[in-house]
Amino acid sequence: MIRRDSHTVSMRAARSSRKSVVVLSGLTAVALAALSACGGSSDDDTAKGVSTVNVTMASGSNGDECTYDATTAKAGPITFNVKNESATGVSEFEVLQDQKIVGERENLAPGLGGSTFTVTLGGGTYQMYCPGASNESTDLTVTGAQASQSASSTQQLLQQGASDYAKYASDQITNMITAVQVLKNAVDSGDVKAAQDAYAAARPFYERVESDVEGFVLDGYKPTDNHGNLDYLIDMRASNLDPAVGWHGFHAIERDIFAKKKITGSTKKLAGELLINVVKLSQLSQSLTYKPEDLANGAAGLLEEVQSGKISGEEEKYSHIDLVDFAANVEGAEQSFAYLKPGLEKIDPDLTDTISQRFDAVTSMLDGYRDAKELGGYERYTPELKASDANKLSQTVQALQDSLSTIAAKVATA
Amino acid sequence: MTEPPQNATNGTGPARFGRRQVIAGAGAAVGVVAGAAAGFGVGRAVADDGTSGDIVDLGNSYDFYTGTHQAGVQTLPQRHCVYMTFDLVPGVTTQKFQQLLATWSAGIAQLMAGLPVGSVQPTSPSSPPQDTGEAYDLGPSSLTVTLGLGPGVFDERLGLQAKRPALLKDLPHLPSDALDPGTTGGDLSLQACADDPQVAYHAIRDLAKLGRTVGAVTTRWTVMGFGRASSGKGQTTPRNLLGFKDGTRNLKEPSEFDDFVWVSDDDQPWMNGGTYQIARKIKMNIEIWDSDAIGDQEKIFGRSKGEGAPLTGKAEFDSPDFAATSGGAPVINPKAHIALAAHENNGGIKILRRSYNFTDGINVELGQLDAGLLFMCYVNDPANFVTLQTKLGSSDLLNEYISHVGSAIFAIPPAPQKGHYIGEQLFA
Repeated sequence: MIRRDSHTVSMRAARSSRKSVVVLSGLTAVALAALSACGGSSDDDTAKGVSTVNVTMASGSNGDECTYDATTAKAGPITFNVKNESATGVSEFEVLQDQKIVGERENLAPGLGGSTFTVTLGGGTYQMYCPGASNESTDLTVTGAQASQSASSTQQLLQQGASDYAKYASDQITNMITAVQVLKNAVDSGDVKAAQDAYAAARPFYERVESDVEGFVLDGYKPTDNHGNLDYLIDMRASNLDPAVGWHGFHAIERDIFAKKKITGSTKKLAGELLINVVKLSQLSQSLTYKPEDLANGAAGLLEEVQSGKISGEEEKYSHIDLVDFAANVEGAEQSFAYLKPGLEKIDPDLTDTISQRFDAVTSMLDGYRDAKELGGYERYTPELKASDANKLSQTVQALQDSLSTIAAKVATA
Repeated sequence: MTEPPQNATNGTGPARFGRRQVIAGAGAAVGVVAGAAAGFGVGRAVADDGTSGDIVDLGNSYDFYTGTHQAGVQTLPQRHCVYMTFDLVPGVTTQKFQQLLATWSAGIAQLMAGLPVGSVQPTSPSSPPQDTGEAYDLGPSSLTVTLGLGPGVFDERLGLQAKRPALLKDLPHLPSDALDPGTTGGDLSLQACADDPQVAYHAIRDLAKLGRTVGAVTTRWTVMGFGRASSGKGQTTPRNLLGFKDGTRNLKEPSEFDDFVWVSDDDQPWMNGGTYQIARKIKMNIEIWDSDAIGDQEKIFGRSKGEGAPLTGKAEFDSPDFAATSGGAPVINPKAHIALAAHENNGGIKILRRSYNFTDGINVELGQLDAGLLFMCYVNDPANFVTLQTKLGSSDLLNEYISHVGSAIFAIPPAPQKGHYIGEQLFA
């Protein structure tokens, strides 16, 4: 999972060595393209510019190459006709400005028909990008009015989505405090049944935003000290306990009220602690701001949680309400996606449709497990249900996860 | 290995294990590595017929775009193989299926050339790597990936009913079948064979990933074959996990491939140049076999264990004499494995065997080794396999020690020309 902490830094450091190679070949390509633009087209054509660029991918003596019938165009709607004749190492074509994708096509394999898309570009310099080709990047010069309405409005839509998402996430955390207060009250009253109901009601709030809030370390603690790790204190499972810190949080309470079916002084202490820690989490999360790629990474991270914790049945080992958490993870991911969708549709409408369809496939699959009589509204995820259904659940989620994991790079504003 | 058994083969002379050393490269793609076999026994890099099919060159690669037959059939069997079958996802469209075949074809071309499928280290920090990377520093290792289309491709889901070859249908229930639904069937298959197991595994892993990304398939079952159990022209005959040479009489001559493997003049022209692949997962009762006496083992196979000679001969490639008797009884038991499988006793039928030994670890229930043979064969008429297996499944002395637990059949289309993809003619 991609966390919003020091991991990002190390990833950037790691890629630098490869990046230098890419930049070098990119420069060469740009120089060649400039030469051919000067020599190949008449002044008249260059001044008028074209509104259609034909892009051909083919394998040749220099490996896979992308060739363009024009590298200048006039401002306005520009249509790109992309065809992969024989380049097995290239399957994607993007138009970029300042490293932001303004339009793209994927799944371009030899033998398939060509693909066409149109983007409205203002005057300026853009890059036509063929990842995997020996000439990965070629400049496209667009002449005419400077303002690039299309590109900027896409960015505005994404930014707007990210800031709207912040409100959604904040609401979830606020509601979690209320739900944990109800859980604490039920535990304090000694009513096991009421505590079980309150437990199932509180879990989804955490699961919807888990990937946003799991990185917090309390002031004065080292990152490696679980005494100060809020995610540990709130959501740690029995299988990953740190003996130096002991067991705290939701799942320790789960064991008491579902496995032991007994509320003791220790259960009450755990519930009190949990409320304090959830309030701390809420305070810390006030400072969170989100970039579009954070939404994308968060959504992919929630689906990783589904695969690693819920479908395996490890998350809710005693209550077996894994499908409740599963649904909450998916709901959180779908919310993130929904906030990105208006911008993403402008960048890659096909991918947006694909992901929407795959969300539908997952949610309609989950609907099949709804049971209003059960805790949290879903069937219990028993070992028998896991044995019969885990494969189907996992493969359906994986298809969504694979496509969802590709959008962060497309909406990235960095 | 201890001293080989002497005179253990029904009086056909001393059986001697000629210890054959397959010469393997040490991990670098530096071309031919040979002569490293000194130590004990006799190190040989050449087969009995003087050719050198056992030399492993991890820098070797095969061409995907042959325009004739797919690689991985007539190709000299590599040392390792991963086999996987896939199901089409519910609601799959013809367009998605075309995209899958085109994406897989391009991916296979990259992998066979020793190239990654997309970036191992994308420039955008927000982008997941497209290629998973574990084969990045390894040579092409003679990788071949062979793509098969199962009967399900031609049902109503894709609207391709009219393109179904008449011979492509689910195999009938065969005698002794003990098929597990979890290791049977599939709508598509990929066979990835290479001289480095990680190269083969990487190919399957990344093609499965591409299949998911396209959104056309989910995984069904897989077997990882760790050891070659069949030979091609010029290769030493390898041994199966029962310790016997397997495939001494395998097809090797080009004319035999034309007669028994490659499809020509099919009812579906798109299949010409193709073949049919039949996969059988065969479990072996290893521990029980291991306590069986050598005399019985040799009777079951009809061959000596050491040399691999038929019980009526002295050398491996001697032709078995199924009519020979000794003291009134046949020297080769009529129910011996080689007697039932021999072309002499089956109207001249031959099949190309391209099998691999596999292990699934330990059978937890019994505490016994869980291993066997991934039997792969290629035929231009699946009925030839059915004929042989009907006979073997009914009578083979070996049946006491083996069990067919998995089965699948696929049409293997011909390979495309550059710029095209496998199965493209289905949509013409």
